[in-house]
Amino acid sequence: MPLRDITTPAFFLGAAAALLVSVTLASPQVNDWVFRCCTLIMLATSWNLMANAGLISLGHSAFWGVGSYAAVLTANGLGLSLWLALLPAFAVGVLLGAFLAFATGRLRGIFFAISTLALSEGLRITAFMLPEVTSGAVGVFLKQELRPSQQVLYSLGVLGAIGSVALAWWLSRTRFHYACRAMRNNEAAAQMLGINPMRYRLGVLMVSGGMASLAGGINAWYGGYLDPGMAFTLHFTILSQIAPILGGIHTLVGPVIGSIGIIFLSEGTRIAFGANEGYSQLIFGVVLVIGILFMPHGIYGVYRRLRQRAARPRNHAPTHIHQAAEGTPKEMRS
Amino acid sequence: MHPRLTVAAAVAALACSATTGAAAQDTIRVGVPMELSGKFVSYGAPGKRGTEMAAEAFNYKVAGKKLELLFRDVQSDAQTTVSVINELVSQAKVNYMIGPIGSPIVAAAIPAWQQGKPIWLVPGSSSTKLEEVAGAEPMFFHTYPYAYHYHTSEAAALKHYLGPGKRVAVIYSDDSYGRTHLPYVQKYYKEAGYNIVAEELVRTNASDLNPVLTKIRVSRPDILIGLVQTTDAITLAKQIHTRRLDVPYLVGTAYTQLDEWRNAVGEAQEGWLGVTTYLPGAQRAANPDYPHIFPSLTEWEEKFRKRFNAEPDFLDIGTYATAAMLFLAIDRAGVDDREKVAAELRKIDLQTVFGRGNFKPTEGGTKQQAFTDMVVFQNQGGKNVVLYPLADATGKLQPLKR
Amino acid sequence: MELAPQMLVDAILLGGVYTLMVIGLALSFGITRVINFAHGEAIMFGAYGAFWLLTVWGIDPLLSLPLLLAGGFVAGFLVYETAVKRVLHAPHINQILLTFGLGLIFQNVALILWTGDERSANPNWAFDAFEFNMVVVPYGRLIGFLVAVMLVAALFAWLRWTELGRASRALAEHNEAAQLVGINVSLTYGIAFGISVALGVAMGVLVSFLGAINPFMGFHMLVKGFAILILGGLGNIMGAVFGAFILAFVETSVGYYVPNGIGWAEGMAFAILFAILVLRPRGLLGQEVEG
Repeated sequence: MPLRDITTPAFFLGAAAALLVSVTLASPQVNDWVFRCCTLIMLATSWNLMANAGLISLGHSAFWGVGSYAAVLTANGLGLSLWLALLPAFAVGVLLGAFLAFATGRLRGIFFAISTLALSEGLRITAFMLPEVTSGAVGVFLKQELRPSQQVLYSLGVLGAIGSVALAWWLSRTRFHYACRAMRNNEAAAQMLGINPMRYRLGVLMVSGGMASLAGGINAWYGGYLDPGMAFTLHFTILSQIAPILGGIHTLVGPVIGSIGIIFLSEGTRIAFGANEGYSQLIFGVVLVIGILFMPHGIYGVYRRLRQRAARPRNHAPTHIHQAAEGTPKEMRS
Repeated sequence: MHPRLTVAAAVAALACSATTGAAAQDTIRVGVPMELSGKFVSYGAPGKRGTEMAAEAFNYKVAGKKLELLFRDVQSDAQTTVSVINELVSQAKVNYMIGPIGSPIVAAAIPAWQQGKPIWLVPGSSSTKLEEVAGAEPMFFHTYPYAYHYHTSEAAALKHYLGPGKRVAVIYSDDSYGRTHLPYVQKYYKEAGYNIVAEELVRTNASDLNPVLTKIRVSRPDILIGLVQTTDAITLAKQIHTRRLDVPYLVGTAYTQLDEWRNAVGEAQEGWLGVTTYLPGAQRAANPDYPHIFPSLTEWEEKFRKRFNAEPDFLDIGTYATAAMLFLAIDRAGVDDREKVAAELRKIDLQTVFGRGNFKPTEGGTKQQAFTDMVVFQNQGGKNVVLYPLADATGKLQPLKR
Repeated sequence: MELAPQMLVDAILLGGVYTLMVIGLALSFGITRVINFAHGEAIMFGAYGAFWLLTVWGIDPLLSLPLLLAGGFVAGFLVYETAVKRVLHAPHINQILLTFGLGLIFQNVALILWTGDERSANPNWAFDAFEFNMVVVPYGRLIGFLVAVMLVAALFAWLRWTELGRASRALAEHNEAAQLVGINVSLTYGIAFGISVALGVAMGVLVSFLGAINPFMGFHMLVKGFAILILGGLGNIMGAVFGAFILAFVETSVGYYVPNGIGWAEGMAFAILFAILVLRPRGLLGQEVEG
């Protein structure tokens, strides 16, 4: 099934342009939602890239966290502006991805998942235990004078999301994508076809890691304050998985649809139910369970099935070859 | 029209729509972001109650206009806090904000607040990081003590009853709370003439404090100070009690007054000292100029019980006094204008149910700080007995016997 | 060193408790090959169960233990039948995410029902300790250790000497052959899963008086549980026991002897986990891991 889907370049560019324009015109509340959606799209696309290669990450907050800290600490330390500070964020994510690739070697499935979990928790504890570097538990504030206007941050979020999806789309048209898909299904067989799993694993983890860290860095600048709990919270790990699953895993638009859905759900329950945050997390859990059990291809999968059903010819031409001498219209209309 | 273009157009249209509209000219809107769910709900819920009760005392009218409270739940989550404060400051464009209360939540709120800087009253957060970053701001008003106030009071109380030269051990949690409080313990207890013989770190949510307690037992302290919160405060108290650690004086911070802690630790609460801004049963006379807004303390407690069917705690009364002072300042200014109301706030000096309502600078750098008086108490036989200041004392310090 | 005797006692008692924490997880994975990411929530419900039974009806946790064990078994069986069964042969990712999602649901149901307030059960005996030679042995810990030992022994006995237990082992060792011999796979899996959850619930009962209870306590234990399982060798129950004691010793000694040790102690689990994954993914007693 082709990965290049309904997002033809025209639609994509149109939506992108609309978003950028809206950033200048829309209210702060809507911009905030759009921003959160965009960073989540980056995170979800990154997770999806890994999943495409059969690597399930249960510790995506590791990348988010190191990106956040890199963006803020280098800025404070060297007085960098936003654009410059995001380079270390991206670089750190790429390096962490490479580290993970070498450390986990050929491990797959459960083992890989658990090592990502360990990485995330280990980094969180390290951030706590090195206050000289990270300001530890007290947290670190981004220096006020370095902050650009809100509009710049919103636009950056949108650009980040667009860039991530564009990168994923470009990758989907290259050999890289097919190699990863082969690895996902059977790494040994893929090797027989001449694919070097280690090289592709390295590639996936580096790209994916860099993307997620960049998202974390942008978000850290937006929020302005960081502490180890916030940076490495499990919440982002959960979101990074639910968004692609909800939207449609292994597809291009899946993470986008899923991210929008997630933000809708969480903000909706917050505003509707107000009193208890437990509800939105509960709904995430339900979405995850129902998604896995009944909707393994996510919202996008449902959409595609509906389109296929609509496209099926609705005439009386028989779809089975009948052995019976006479077939009534009813029987033939199977 | 091509279906995809419709979608794109819809996206653009949606993005341009405003949500929270502009205020009608005759309402005064106050943003109240609180932790109404999540980890800090036990701070945010009283925050909401106190503010509501204050608004009721004013009949929801100040300076001739209707008073509207915009309550928002920050869910004890940093991300949500950023979004909520952004909405209040940049979208609803409120001129006044009360809350949040928990230290890490307030910290997360600061950068978002700085986008518009409405008048900000914070009836919580003892973190000195807050003071460092926002203290000098003219629109920032802090109405809750800082970490150092806790420890000046406790050290003074201990010194009064025990004299100098005692051995002190400190257990502190590896989070914002423990780390900010530690330097002040070191400073004020040294000033009181005490030796700090052990300083042990605990990870938050650690289930096993035995290694730490064993190490502390070896150093034979007279006083053990626990700079921890919630879960750890419970685990610490229980494990100290179970091991029959023979330290005669156990000192906590604000947690030893909380019902949640007391219920969870049961008999382990005996002997623990704590410090707070308010204990039920204290006496304070009504303010003759504003008997309706600031009645006598007993009358206020009665009103609270009738209204909310619960016992008031230090955050209920603290936010009540904070909100009441804000509303009074708006009333006196007569207009919905930040500068004028801020000027009135700075001028306020009157007796509230919570103590003297007057904003003064602190030695740490906050320009506008009110309510720094703290009361040191000890749990004796299941009841909290006030030890210090001596004028309010209802009992004497008792050592814990094992 | 004067700290050593206390350290040893602490480590052993902790090891027993950790064993109980992971044994359920080891069982469910060993037999059904599904990693139950909601195991932490079984522990959490066990803790709340014991707490409420004590607080509302005054039933001592040790007495409510059998009742909760039974409840846990039934719940585990039901969860298996309704949800886990469907992903038995699905890609790993589905299994992981399904149980992860279930865990999320359970956590938040608990949060909504019982709020995030910290609780703790306080049966009278949990507050006492006996002391000899400067070593303090808290009763609560000791009883927890004994309960854990009993339950683990019972589990081994079940696996060795009962029909169902042997059937489970057969399925774990050679799936197709076991089916050929007529073992009802689905029922056996369900029962194994049920027992695994019951053991998690038992752990929760212990935690209710040893520590503090809140809806999110399960996750930390789950992560540690993984470290132990991987250390011991995924799928090997004896390995899990070894792993539990090794982790307990490492954590306790770091806590005692390293400055600010307790801050790093919690991180030991991850350091070990990573080291094992890099050096010897099969763990101590596990089977060769395919690349």
